[in-house]
Amino acid sequence: MTVLQIDHLSKNYGAIKALNNVSFAVPKGTVFGILGPNGSGKTTLLGIVMDILKATEGTFSWDGQTASNEVRKKIGTLLETPNFYHYMSAEDNLKIAASIKGRGMEDIDHVLRLVNLDQRKNSKFSTFSLGMKQRLAIASTLLGDPDVLVFDEPTNGLDPAGIAEIRELIKELNKKGKTIIMASHILDEVEKVCTHVAIIQKGVLKTVGSVKEVMNTDGTSVNAGTTLIEIAANDNEALQNLIGSLHYISDLTMDENGLSFTCPDTIQSTDINQYCFEKGIVLSRLNVKRKSLETRFLEITGTKSEK
Amino acid sequence: MKELLAIEWLKVKKYTAFKVLAICFIIGVIATNYIVYSFNKNVVSNVPAGGLISFSPYSFDSTWQTTSYVTGFILLLPSLLLLMLFTNEYSYKTHRQNIIDGWSRQQFIDVKFMMGFIFALIATVMVALTALLFGLGSGTSFSIKGIEYLGYFFMKAFSYNLIAILISVLIKRTGFATGVFFIYLGAENIISQMLDVLSMKIKSESGTDIGSIGDYLPMNAADGLLGFPNNSLKTMSKSIMPTDYTWIVFALAIAYMFLFYFWAKRKFVQSDL
Repeated sequence: MTVLQIDHLSKNYGAIKALNNVSFAVPKGTVFGILGPNGSGKTTLLGIVMDILKATEGTFSWDGQTASNEVRKKIGTLLETPNFYHYMSAEDNLKIAASIKGRGMEDIDHVLRLVNLDQRKNSKFSTFSLGMKQRLAIASTLLGDPDVLVFDEPTNGLDPAGIAEIRELIKELNKKGKTIIMASHILDEVEKVCTHVAIIQKGVLKTVGSVKEVMNTDGTSVNAGTTLIEIAANDNEALQNLIGSLHYISDLTMDENGLSFTCPDTIQSTDINQYCFEKGIVLSRLNVKRKSLETRFLEITGTKSEK
Repeated sequence: MKELLAIEWLKVKKYTAFKVLAICFIIGVIATNYIVYSFNKNVVSNVPAGGLISFSPYSFDSTWQTTSYVTGFILLLPSLLLLMLFTNEYSYKTHRQNIIDGWSRQQFIDVKFMMGFIFALIATVMVALTALLFGLGSGTSFSIKGIEYLGYFFMKAFSYNLIAILISVLIKRTGFATGVFFIYLGAENIISQMLDVLSMKIKSESGTDIGSIGDYLPMNAADGLLGFPNNSLKTMSKSIMPTDYTWIVFALAIAYMFLFYFWAKRKFVQSDL
């Protein structure tokens, strides 16, 4: 089942191509991350599917239906910034959102409690801190318990505790079967909560798939994955000489904490440990690191872009 | 539309400027008319030559026209409020959020037009009540003769509101839009008067009466239908003034209203928000 299908979307601002022939599908029940640096076209993409911006070319559909306001009423969306009437209270702002969505007012207290704003529901929006504004915007998306949520930089302006709470909330929503589409430039965030990811750079879709697929594809061959390993011993110099002689390792570096290198993920950490032990060096530290999305992201966006 | 208006009312009723401007307008309608009323009664009629222009403008049947004309001077207040309410949506980006939450672009702009219509209607009711009050206060007996001026007043009010909506859609920023609104009004009035002088000159030199062409401009068309009631001074100057071709001005005023409406609507529905 596909929640959102995007076909050949392009958006031009004069000569600038904010989006260039982007196509992908968001499967139902996923947390779908749209990842890209600032200005890569994430918000433009979401703006088009929410009918805020007009696509220059291409089409999209929600649940197989073409865009309409009835479709949008069933989606909770936070786009770019929290957009509320400054002179109105949190509660009154949510009343407007709920009325537009055609939902009852009974949800308002509940969603305000979810984001810890129930104590401040009568305060004017203009008195809110950035984090509170963001939380109110998230509360607004939850009105009417929609099956699809669209978050553009959801943790923007939140403190660490707030960020953790929102992440938990997103995971919880996903467990309940909701589909979440989330744009972010924070790789760590995407890595922690997303099941699927699309990487966009300068309006061009670089890669798309489940997080696992994206991590394991380097564009040319599948499963050419590598592992980052960190090791240390009493004599790191000797260790460096020993490890450096192995033909299958690469990117060997040494710092005060020890050595780090990458090797094919067919090599097990036990192989390394045994090899060193046999050569008379006892490892004081052995750490296997899955390659982070950040590394992948930089590989993808840093190597084959800007053409 | 009822639901849309209910939501729009939620936005309006909490807005402080709404309360302030509404009170200013209500007081303003009565106060401006009272000033003209008492000036006419106490000053003009006491001047030796005052008899020429003194004709108690607030007695029936003139009261409808006089009140409509005089109230026209504070008609900027409701359109200014409308302009602020609309451009606020741009600065809060709530015009985006309303659409994201499920309004169509069409609905968003339609409800603004509807507000413009309602503001104009309320202003017209205010004028009707004030005209009645001063008419009865001046001791003449009730008559609906000249009540069509309330219709012209409504047209003028709605036309101002449509212009305010168009400027909001085109300019988007509150301060800038307010500035453009006032500058445009001022500039058009000056040009309109220059055009009237020109048409007077043409009339006196060649005898061709092309009408008060100043009234053919967008804002002045709706204005042109509402003059001060005829008095002896006005009658005396008639021979040198160009004729007011009411039907041309009326047709133009309607045409301009359609233009403002379709332009604003097209812009909002078709462009990026």
